Amino acid sequence: MIWLTWRQFRSQAVTSLAVLAAFAILLGATGPHLASLYADSGVASCHGQGCQGPANAFLDQVSGVFSLVFTLGLAAVILAPAVIGIFWGAPLIAREFETGTFRLAWTQSVTRARWTAAKLALPGLTAVAVTEGLSLMYGWWAAPIGEAARLDPGPGPGFPLGMGPFGLPDFDAHGVVPVGYAAFGFTLGVTAGLLFRRALPAMAVTLAVFAAAGVAMPLAIRPNLFPPAHATQSLAANFSGGQSVRPGGKFTFALDYLDSQPGAWILSSGAVNAAGQPVSVMPAACGGAAVGPSDLSHCLAGHGIGVAASYQPTSRFWPIQWAETGIYLALALALAGFCYWRLGRRLP
Amino acid sequence: MTAVIETDGLGKRYRRQWALADCTLSVPAGRVVGLVGPNGAGKSTLLNLTAGLLRQTAGTIRVLDGPPPSRPEQLARIGFLAQDAPVYAGLTVAEHLTLGARLNLGWDAGFARDRVDWLGLDPAKRAGRLSGGQRAQLALTLAIAKRPELLILDEPVASLDPLARREFLESLTEAITERELSVVLSSHLMADLERVCDYLIVLVGSRVQVAGPVGELLAGYRLRQDPSAPPASLEDMVLAAMRHAAGNDDNQQEARR
Repeated sequence: MIWLTWRQFRSQAVTSLAVLAAFAILLGATGPHLASLYADSGVASCHGQGCQGPANAFLDQVSGVFSLVFTLGLAAVILAPAVIGIFWGAPLIAREFETGTFRLAWTQSVTRARWTAAKLALPGLTAVAVTEGLSLMYGWWAAPIGEAARLDPGPGPGFPLGMGPFGLPDFDAHGVVPVGYAAFGFTLGVTAGLLFRRALPAMAVTLAVFAAAGVAMPLAIRPNLFPPAHATQSLAANFSGGQSVRPGGKFTFALDYLDSQPGAWILSSGAVNAAGQPVSVMPAACGGAAVGPSDLSHCLAGHGIGVAASYQPTSRFWPIQWAETGIYLALALALAGFCYWRLGRRLP
Repeated sequence: MTAVIETDGLGKRYRRQWALADCTLSVPAGRVVGLVGPNGAGKSTLLNLTAGLLRQTAGTIRVLDGPPPSRPEQLARIGFLAQDAPVYAGLTVAEHLTLGARLNLGWDAGFARDRVDWLGLDPAKRAGRLSGGQRAQLALTLAIAKRPELLILDEPVASLDPLARREFLESLTEAITERELSVVLSSHLMADLERVCDYLIVLVGSRVQVAGPVGELLAGYRLRQDPSAPPASLEDMVLAAMRHAAGNDDNQQEARR
């Protein structure tokens, strides 16, 4: 059975090997140069506040071809699970139904359970290996940029740098989550193909569901996997974030960056008074034309107003990675189990 | 006489539609059995149930004295050629033979090789580029080379042109004569069945209208025939049976009104 599965999967396997090789060549050709720029920049040997300068200088050098490879690589790692789900998963069983070949396969002397297991295992494990391979190569290549961005927070020039390890879509391209995404994307495609029995609608549904999960996860689930930490920051300090003041003295503050927690993921933030209560109306002394926008934060700080934030510290990076991977792997296992049960037990 | 297929009140429903309802029949062993009937009589459903590709909604079915095949040793005893002879378009002829060898217990590699050779099929050619007749021959080779006790052919020649149809049936007869094999083949073309079958089951609306050895059926029918008319063919007899069934149906509907 493995023979037939391999034979049917051969061209996809060769394609994915070619993609991996091309990716390795692209990264291998530009990576060492990037690493030497990083070594020369002095970021690796700097300390404390002295790092921002060299980090910024290094990030300024990451332009042109580096910026292109950065974006391309990120896109490849992020899109691989969806592409695999759509082009490997969805047609895997749907094509057998479309062409009637399931009748040929199921009337040989092999049980449907074995047929299903082989069909799920070989392409499924390859999907996981290819995606994680892309992620690891990209992680190696982009490590200097990530390190510099951590020391010099803020959007980098000309390319979509996130904010620290939790940035979107950086988080999705690193660590172990690509394993979960690939397993889920593939089994989602297979299940859709089994239910629709036609490849095209199965591909469309796979894309829609995978994209919906990809939006729901960072917005609704990932922030709540672990209870957030809380911190309050003085407005007098080096404030990095957004503020708005509306007529009538209503105002809001939002933090982009916590000084005490570099790289932390800010989930929500807002102005609070000295007692820690949220405030939205500014003290009369700070309103009006007397106080310019630049002095506003100092004036508010003088009245005991600061910014409170709930956040996930960088130390939560791996716990959140593993939890999210676990969720996706559990979904993938459930889908694979459904396919196995449906094909092995219930007949069309 | 033992039976290779026995059904009792067998039924298969898709959502609200019954594709086969209350079908009770017995297919004798050691025969080449033709299963005839109009489109929609449930022939294909019956054969797919027999091969274990479908599960019945009602009634019972026994195949080779057991349930429809699901375990490897059961599957090995039944050769199945599905309607439109599905093969993997991307695999070559030789790869189909490898498939048969890898996925079966008692694979007859010599027979498969010789038959593909005799048919003149290029082993390196992809199955997707074969003609309809060649595809059917390749699928038949796979079904016979697994050395089944029961060979089931679902409308094997329906999509073939007359010449390919004749060649297929002749080669089928040749391939099965030297084997201890029970064969069931469905068709709605009488002329095909006349050439290869020695036993006939006429199925109309899931009901067996006529069943028996071809020679006996024909002799019996001719006896009841008007002596002045030319001797009836098998086709005349089957058509008469189908008309009779349709008449019964109409009468029942009349009666209900």
